Amino acid sequence: MIRFNGTYFDGKSSLPRRVSVFFDGVFLHVEGSNLPEAYKVALKDCVISPPLGKTNRSVKFPDGAVCETDDLASIRKLEEYTGVNRTWRFVDFLESHWKAVALCAICLILFVVAFTRFGIPFLAKEAASRIPPEVMQSMSKDALKFLDTQFLKPSHLSQEKRLEITRLFRETSREMDPKTGYTLEFRKGKGLGANAFALPSGIIVVTDELVALSRNDREIAGVLAHEITHVKKNHAMRHLLQSTGVFFLVSVLVGDVASITSVASTLPTLLVESGYSREFEREADKEAGLYLIRKGWGTKPYRDMLDRLTKSHPGTPELSMLSTHPETEQRIKALQELEASARKR
Amino acid sequence: MQYDMASSQKHIQDTTPSMANHDEARPGIESYPLVFTGATGEYFRIWIVNVFLTIVTLGVYAAWAKVRTRQYFYANTRLAGQVFSYLGNPTAILKGNLIIGGGVVIYLVVKEFVPMFAGIIGMLLYLALPFLIYKSLRFNARNSAYRNIRLRFLGTIGEAYTAYILYPILIPFTLGTIVPYWEFRRKKYFFNNLAFGTTGAVFNGRPGPFYLAYFMVFLMFIGLIFLIGIFAAGGAALIAFKHMASSAYPRFPKGFFMLILAAYPIILATIFAVQQYLYGKLMNYCWGETRMGKLRFQSTLSVWRLIWIRISSLFAIVFTIGLLVPWVKIRRIKYILENITVVAEGSFDTFTASIEPDEKSAIGDAATDFFDIDIGL
Repeated sequence: MIRFNGTYFDGKSSLPRRVSVFFDGVFLHVEGSNLPEAYKVALKDCVISPPLGKTNRSVKFPDGAVCETDDLASIRKLEEYTGVNRTWRFVDFLESHWKAVALCAICLILFVVAFTRFGIPFLAKEAASRIPPEVMQSMSKDALKFLDTQFLKPSHLSQEKRLEITRLFRETSREMDPKTGYTLEFRKGKGLGANAFALPSGIIVVTDELVALSRNDREIAGVLAHEITHVKKNHAMRHLLQSTGVFFLVSVLVGDVASITSVASTLPTLLVESGYSREFEREADKEAGLYLIRKGWGTKPYRDMLDRLTKSHPGTPELSMLSTHPETEQRIKALQELEASARKR
Repeated sequence: MQYDMASSQKHIQDTTPSMANHDEARPGIESYPLVFTGATGEYFRIWIVNVFLTIVTLGVYAAWAKVRTRQYFYANTRLAGQVFSYLGNPTAILKGNLIIGGGVVIYLVVKEFVPMFAGIIGMLLYLALPFLIYKSLRFNARNSAYRNIRLRFLGTIGEAYTAYILYPILIPFTLGTIVPYWEFRRKKYFFNNLAFGTTGAVFNGRPGPFYLAYFMVFLMFIGLIFLIGIFAAGGAALIAFKHMASSAYPRFPKGFFMLILAAYPIILATIFAVQQYLYGKLMNYCWGETRMGKLRFQSTLSVWRLIWIRISSLFAIVFTIGLLVPWVKIRRIKYILENITVVAEGSFDTFTASIEPDEKSAIGDAATDFFDIDIGL
């Protein structure tokens, strides 16, 4: 039957004993010159360590003794005879064949790409829709407080101008998303310059600089529609959840690499995240464009505004991989195409 | 049968495991260098399959992957003709991972919604840390075996709290001069409490060499401290900016990026040099001062070699998008292990096992792993 040599350790002392093991179909017989007495034990009561590369295998006996051996072929025969370690033999099969490993690597890449592209955004969307509005309100209030202390100042806009823009804002928000209660805040941008942001509960902040930069209400309406879309589609919460998802995915993927360098884990996270942001910006642009087309104003006012905004921020780096907004030219082109296709219909 | 060089070499050693000391001129004293037989290609395949199965099982397999990886490294570590084995129970590790993973999710959610409580949770975690480290050391020692005799960790929880909470609290009051002593106590906690079966280790180290090592580090830092200060300010501002609300038209001054890009390699190189210097010097010292029954240890790590391994590994990983991670791990572990020599006065064959209940909880191991806390080796 099956016979192999190994080293026997009784589990009480560190003394190695050279033994020969013989399997008769039911029992393992362990024999050795320095073994107190011959050993006979049913194989079904023993535990065979899983196969792992070319490392030694061990058979653990019910009394805690262990027999280690480098005769991997004989142990394989024992396993096949009794049918144990089936799963591990499959894992070992994968691990010992380059072709299987290559297949695993390809499947891994496909899985990761599909999961970041579809899985995480889907899960984030589902989860974001379940966040209670009170939570979003308190979050947004805190965020605005933070922005006020760090980056913003009270607005210097005249009362008439404010009223005019607020009226425009009410109209836009009612037409785009009647279900959400929106509020408009005016601030001076200080370091941020001409800018607008949306906070998840529906607070939209417009800077004085942006108002000054605009040439008519339609241009402001475009920017407002862009920000309203961020709120309507819950972009902020989804982005937050997606970032958390990517964080977990990357930490599982790089796992033990993280200690070597943070670059290895932060760079992919950053790239995937900026991809997500650009996706959201594209959606917000599209919705804003469609709104302006519906109003019969066309996308030109919004395009002009985008162009001027970019020019007012000369410090924006041209590293498009890192910037969260798609490059302005691309955005303007996308809006032109949107208008062209709307006209055809 | 296919055998590589390493396993045929082990055949030769296997034939004379207990008679090695009879061959030497000085009877009774024999040096046994650790031999590491792990192969990059083989480990690469195991690693890819591990990552693949971990991802497609959404992280569940991570526990099994960890056991398999550790077992691969243990089973390829050879001392006096016999190998080590790792006996960790994957189910216990899975439970630990779930608890820690759940804790992290709760922390992230709380941090986002009620930032005030996040600080409290962080504080609680800090207070739990010594306990988790204690648990982790016990779990991993208890699941490491050589010649079917398990290692043990005999440190107490109280000692862990002294070593990991008391001394760091004293840092501000001592203007940082206690830091080397703190490191000394942490190393002592590990080396003085290890046991192989019934044979406990004794650590005879003194704080002096720790102070010397830290003084050298202090000098290294002086040279770079003002550089780091400048770049850290830029980095902090950038991070603050990134975490703001979804701003429509963010404005990043180009200078920020340039500053950080230029500073990063310098800071990284300094950090690597300091880490490796401390690691190499202190490891050599601690092993040299540890006795385990009739066993002594020698560690002959070279700091320059450690720094070179770290920096070349970084480049290897970045330029192969992580594909060389297995090579990096095998190379570093091989270098560290093969610089350790066990000097035995007498035979390896007379150690005895201790009857002690197993450490069943892997929560400490999961925590120290997640937070990447360096304990022990």
